[in-house]
Amino acid sequence: MPSIDYDSAADVTERLEQRLVESLTGETSVSRRTVLGGLGVAGSAAVGLGSTRTSASSDHQDEDEHGSFGAVGEYRDLDFDPHEFLTAFNTGDSGQDNVPQQIYEEDGRTVREFEFTAVDTTITIAPGVEFQAWAYNGQVPGPTIRAIEGDLIRVKFTNFGRHAHTIHPHLKNLNPRMDGIPQNGPGVLNTGESFTYEWIAQPAGTHFYHCHSLPLKEHIHRGLYGTIIVDPDPERVRENPRDYINYPGPITDDFRTQLVEEARSRNHEYAENDAVNEMVMVMNSFDTNFDGGNEVYAANTRAFGYGVGDTDGNGNWTAGETKRPIQIDKNELQRVYLSNATEFDLINSFHTHSQFFDYYDHGTTLTPTFKTVDTIMQCQAQRGILEIDYSDHEPGLYMFHAHQSEFAELGWMSFFEVV
Amino acid sequence: MADKRQNSTTDGGVPAKNEITQPLGLPRWVSALLPIVLLALVLGVFAFTSPLAGVQSGEPLPDVTVTHTTLPSDETVVLHVTNNGPESVTISQVLVDEAYWNFQVEGAGGDQTLAPMESAQIEIPYHWNPGWDLEVALVLSDGSTFHNTIVAPSQSPGFSLSLLGTLAVIGLFVGVIPVALGMLWFPYIKTMSDRWLHAVLLFAAGVLGFLAFDAGFEAFELAERVPGAYEGNLLVVFGIFGALLLVQAISAWREGRVAAGDSRASSGLWIAYLVAVGIGLHNLAEGLAIGSSFALGRVSLGAFLVIGFMLHNVTEGPAVVAPVARGKRPSLKHFAALGVIAGAPVILGGWIGSLAYSPTIGAFFLAIGVGAILQVDWEITRMVRDAGGRVASATNLLAFLLGLSVMYVTDLFVAL
Repeated sequence: MPSIDYDSAADVTERLEQRLVESLTGETSVSRRTVLGGLGVAGSAAVGLGSTRTSASSDHQDEDEHGSFGAVGEYRDLDFDPHEFLTAFNTGDSGQDNVPQQIYEEDGRTVREFEFTAVDTTITIAPGVEFQAWAYNGQVPGPTIRAIEGDLIRVKFTNFGRHAHTIHPHLKNLNPRMDGIPQNGPGVLNTGESFTYEWIAQPAGTHFYHCHSLPLKEHIHRGLYGTIIVDPDPERVRENPRDYINYPGPITDDFRTQLVEEARSRNHEYAENDAVNEMVMVMNSFDTNFDGGNEVYAANTRAFGYGVGDTDGNGNWTAGETKRPIQIDKNELQRVYLSNATEFDLINSFHTHSQFFDYYDHGTTLTPTFKTVDTIMQCQAQRGILEIDYSDHEPGLYMFHAHQSEFAELGWMSFFEVV
Repeated sequence: MADKRQNSTTDGGVPAKNEITQPLGLPRWVSALLPIVLLALVLGVFAFTSPLAGVQSGEPLPDVTVTHTTLPSDETVVLHVTNNGPESVTISQVLVDEAYWNFQVEGAGGDQTLAPMESAQIEIPYHWNPGWDLEVALVLSDGSTFHNTIVAPSQSPGFSLSLLGTLAVIGLFVGVIPVALGMLWFPYIKTMSDRWLHAVLLFAAGVLGFLAFDAGFEAFELAERVPGAYEGNLLVVFGIFGALLLVQAISAWREGRVAAGDSRASSGLWIAYLVAVGIGLHNLAEGLAIGSSFALGRVSLGAFLVIGFMLHNVTEGPAVVAPVARGKRPSLKHFAALGVIAGAPVILGGWIGSLAYSPTIGAFFLAIGVGAILQVDWEITRMVRDAGGRVASATNLLAFLLGLSVMYVTDLFVAL
């Protein structure tokens, strides 16, 4: 049972937060300099404060001696919360405020309609480090779209950016006009132009969308990408089980039932889905100095956004902590819809500590493509579903990160806090 | 007009003092101040109305320099940074070998923002390995990065009396003792004929000329590391000319005194002192180099290096005493003073270099040394000419060349 006894660091934290809160609520007696200086943290008592702690127990003196990796300071830009993004699914029925959406029937098909924009904005990618981004609906990663296989996804897209953009979905798209590339349909959309994309949600799985304007590297790595989740339809699975497995043997009734069960747990409209904690993670990275290499890596944009802040390992964080672990209930199955948007590097990866998981590449199968692994890799635009079970683990902090050490130390370093 | 001409005096002249009266009858100081006042007004108007606001295109780029780094312990790295740019910069994160790392900014008013020309120290708790290069990068709020590689890190000595003692001993051996030994040639130099004495003087000039180039190149090399806002190369140029002109002005003042019949000012002792000051300034820079290589943990003070320095500096002794080889021998007090002025600055320079090292100070001191030395060379040639010698005689030219050669050869033994 890790426990933290922070004493002096806690005092400092409290004082600083007090100052910060006062400064943000228009208390004029506190200058910006004081607050920033405070956040810069003085005194070795506070080493590790505002950094990603590598430990959550007080018997680690190493840090005070050798320092620790991690970003210094807190995120002050609250426009985007990576913790909210994890579970923000836009289904047409419900979703984020910044994504106008509706759901209706048309010709016997469910239509999920979304309004997307592309805008130029500034995002925060590490505490105090800003990045000039191009963003769908002002956020990076873009909003997560969620549909059920066979639905029609209708996206009314307007480009407010300085450059021409498109939306290109990684779906099985039968109409080339809807592919979102410069050579087809409306081509690229210049500033102020609109187009309505229509895609059939198929195949079931977790998919990727991004801008396909040129230069491609720039348009992707500036932030124009996101996730489309297509839930399997359990009835269709019952009738065509072979479409969802990579297995040539006989299909018994038990096996068929098992596949349907898996499909029901994946489908957000079924009760079985409520027993699973689902999270969306987009592995991304940012080149801040134009040298064709990334300075910041993250899961969901913010370096160390899911790192250890001040926590007692029991889900109790110090107030105002912007870098904190993802708190999970050990009794729920954890399902991660993971995709890789990283530019400039060949692959990215996902590694869990003290834990093995099942991996479904592209999420298009109902049986794992990798069973019992603790590290998977993805090239850009590759994606998959991870099912992770912590039910027999003791509560506490469990690390997960890219197992390219460089990426981990540049921000793609995270924790689950199992309670 | 016609009336006026009729009324003018027969000599046709207007009284001269009327020609230089001020316009409108204002006193002189007004016409001196008027342009300054108007300039202040124009600047004020410009600052408050900003007529060029619409012309602004883009922003100046941030420019941050890591002037140098110190490693006070094997678990601490300190970066000395200066903001060269015209805008404030905020150091949001620090990368050590491509990993975000803890850090604290000391100075800069306690925050992470540096105003233009402001300097700060960034303290990083990092357990580095001696001899293994370390790459650090500052990440500014706009994501731009400034990289600096600490080559073959080794611990910097902190401030301690023992370090000062060490540097004093080194200074004694490489500065004071060699110069004193070199001055022991004085009795021999006294017995020389004019021709050979002048050759010795030109030999000394050669020695000094070599030192001027040596220090000059080093100053420009160091100037590369001076933060851009301080214009390192121009600072060196300013240092060289400043020192040259200042010392020359003193010299000119001395000549004025001689003309006025001040006998003390006419002696060779004066030039001896000038030479001592020139060499002293050069040795101050030499001390800075030794001290700063200590501060940067870059020193390999083998016996060979010390021997090299001694051989190098022993030639400075005769250069100091040659000017007093004619006329009455100065008292021993003067010899002691000359030796101290020429040699002791090595110790002082060592202390400054180890305690308050910065490329800016280093380059500037070196430049001052160069300027002083150039003036001394000038002075020596005039001394030979005043004594009736021919500066460019074969003997003298060869002596000058010998001075250069000896310094070149002994310089090979000295590589910090």
